[in-house]
Amino acid sequence: MPWRRWAEIALLAGPGVVVFVTFVIVPVLMAGYYGFFDWSGYGIPTEFVGLRNYELILTDNAFLEAMWHNGFILVMSLILQGPAAIGIALLLNRKMRGRDLIRVLIFVPYVISEVIVAIGFSLMLHPTGAVNDVLDRIGLGGLAMDWLADPDVAIWSLMLILVWKYIGFAVILMLAGLQGIPDELREAAAIDGASYWRTQWHITLPLLGPTIRIWAFLSIIGSLQVFDLVYVIWGQYVADIAGTSTMATYMVANGRISGEYGYGSAVAVVIFLISLVIALVYQRYVLRRDTEGALTEGVA
Amino acid sequence: MMPRRYRSGTQVVLAGTVAAALALSACSTGPEASDYQEGDPYTLTVWTNYTGEAGLAWFDGVAEEFEATHENVTVEAQHIQNEELDGKLQTALNSGDAPDVFLQRGGGKMRDMAEANQLLDLTGSAVDSAELREKLGDAPYEALTLDGRLLAAPQLVQPGGIWYSKDLFRQAGITETPKTVDDLADAIQKLKGAGITPIALGGKDAWPAAHWYYFFALRECSADTLEATNESLDFSDPCYENAAEDVVDLAALEPFNEGFLNTSAQQGASSSAGLLANHKAAMELMGSWEPGVVKDLTPNQEPLPDLGWFPFPQVQSGHGDATALMGGKGGFSCSAGAPKTLCAEFLALMNSEKNQESFYTAFGSIPLHVDAQDVVRNDYDKQMIEALNEATYVSDFLDTNYGQQVGTVLNQAVVELLTGETDPAGLVAAITAAAERE
Repeated sequence: MPWRRWAEIALLAGPGVVVFVTFVIVPVLMAGYYGFFDWSGYGIPTEFVGLRNYELILTDNAFLEAMWHNGFILVMSLILQGPAAIGIALLLNRKMRGRDLIRVLIFVPYVISEVIVAIGFSLMLHPTGAVNDVLDRIGLGGLAMDWLADPDVAIWSLMLILVWKYIGFAVILMLAGLQGIPDELREAAAIDGASYWRTQWHITLPLLGPTIRIWAFLSIIGSLQVFDLVYVIWGQYVADIAGTSTMATYMVANGRISGEYGYGSAVAVVIFLISLVIALVYQRYVLRRDTEGALTEGVA
Repeated sequence: MMPRRYRSGTQVVLAGTVAAALALSACSTGPEASDYQEGDPYTLTVWTNYTGEAGLAWFDGVAEEFEATHENVTVEAQHIQNEELDGKLQTALNSGDAPDVFLQRGGGKMRDMAEANQLLDLTGSAVDSAELREKLGDAPYEALTLDGRLLAAPQLVQPGGIWYSKDLFRQAGITETPKTVDDLADAIQKLKGAGITPIALGGKDAWPAAHWYYFFALRECSADTLEATNESLDFSDPCYENAAEDVVDLAALEPFNEGFLNTSAQQGASSSAGLLANHKAAMELMGSWEPGVVKDLTPNQEPLPDLGWFPFPQVQSGHGDATALMGGKGGFSCSAGAPKTLCAEFLALMNSEKNQESFYTAFGSIPLHVDAQDVVRNDYDKQMIEALNEATYVSDFLDTNYGQQVGTVLNQAVVELLTGETDPAGLVAAITAAAERE
């Protein structure tokens, strides 16, 4: 390759590479390094403990529970949000009055900052908050409960908030996917006598496949990283008791809050590895059919 | 197929990054001592957690006074939000870019800083003078001394106790503030009978719940036991389990506000301090900062007129002294690279009689300086000073004493105790396990 091409590549990619290496690669490696130490965060780490931090993490029930919660969120997000988002997108893809307004409204929760959503819901779902009050006033006082602190209920409350918050994003993605399906296919199906539902099942859904797979990927990664909603609603200490802790809140509680930076770094590494493995497996086995044949291999 | 060149390139980048990471982590060695000479131009950097107009004005006053008496010296302050301060400070200390003077919380954190050689030894400096020691009292100095080295100058003490609404107590027919735990149980029943929530508790933040355990431990354990445990982190003395039993007994009376687990301590009217401020609950166990917090949460943002204070009640069977107090002790440290004389003189000035008096006006925190204590106006402040002067023992909050790791586990365990997730033996086992990991 001529030097000119190299100069162009260096000029265009250089700043991005520098930022990525400085703020992603180096911190990841540093976390890997700190993860081998018992380190309170003051001075340089000196007490090398080998793999002990990892041993503690993987035998700590609190971490295993947090991991289980992440898994629950992951599966339930796919089950609850996927079909609902496709249904809403199909509905909003038809011509009807107020369609644009509904499209905007359904996207609003996604735009609102997590912290605001969390504070709003924690006020409404507090035992003395609006939700219980409304239930009481319409004669359903028997349904009133401690939505956020009861361990049997809290994770479902979290799920509800997550669905409310993120379904707008799924709907927008699906809508965009639907726009990409040529009308001719549906017309042809109609001429062949296919019913509406049959058309959706055999034409729309398969063609929406790439969109659904990408959405599912984003949803999975997001589920593994849930932090801010939990942290704001349940705070530093209560998530464990309410059964809503996630790997990320565990990391902050046992790393930063307890001043155990070595341990916290090791937790970060574990989360990183879990996410990495899931992402790679998904790319390899699920997304491959979408990217195969596309222009992804080196042109040169 | 990826050309080979790329792959070897990736390896080079990776190897380089590893090297860079290791180099970065190795370059932060201890700071060097300052070579400042009197008269040299110098900017003294100070980090505090002060907020509010009055508080910042107080600091500016001290800074001006210092600059007037020290030629070529400028004081440059950064007032950092309290919860942000520790993290920022930690980064600054590790990177060798620490401020000269900064807020010191003492306890386990100070120990960690000292072990990393990040603090200046103030022994024998201007702030360690016999006169100041006499005026501020020996106990606050003791708390900030480690292995014979004075690592921070005391500035304030914030004794905890039970804050209550006099009106609500009257409404429930309580004529005297509780002296013993039985009296407290009585008061709780009376308040509940009158339809008043007895105790506000911000369980979401955990430490307000943990305070109940700390204070029961203060009454159950002798001062000697508490002091020994600060060093050994050995919780085998039965008094620690007894204190947990006391918490369980208290919780059995269901004295706390509904949904205390999701109630924060200080944010908004629905917080525990907000409940007290709006007469939605009768009591809260808190440090001496409570009147200031409550004031911001009353409907008109004026001080709560019927706010009262009484010391934590005595546990009859306990080994702790009834006069023993617990509270946060705040001070200021100098970083290892700061000019010692200059730094110590600044700390001494912060603690002068005049500045301690104005400190009370600005922050409402009772002055340490004996001569400054006559400025105190509120009844509860006078009571607190009296209690302090009578106290046979003043402990810091236990989570501060035990360090972050054990402290965090303890706080969490107390919340679990209140919800029945663990029992007293489980609490002791949890903190013992955390201490072993230390």
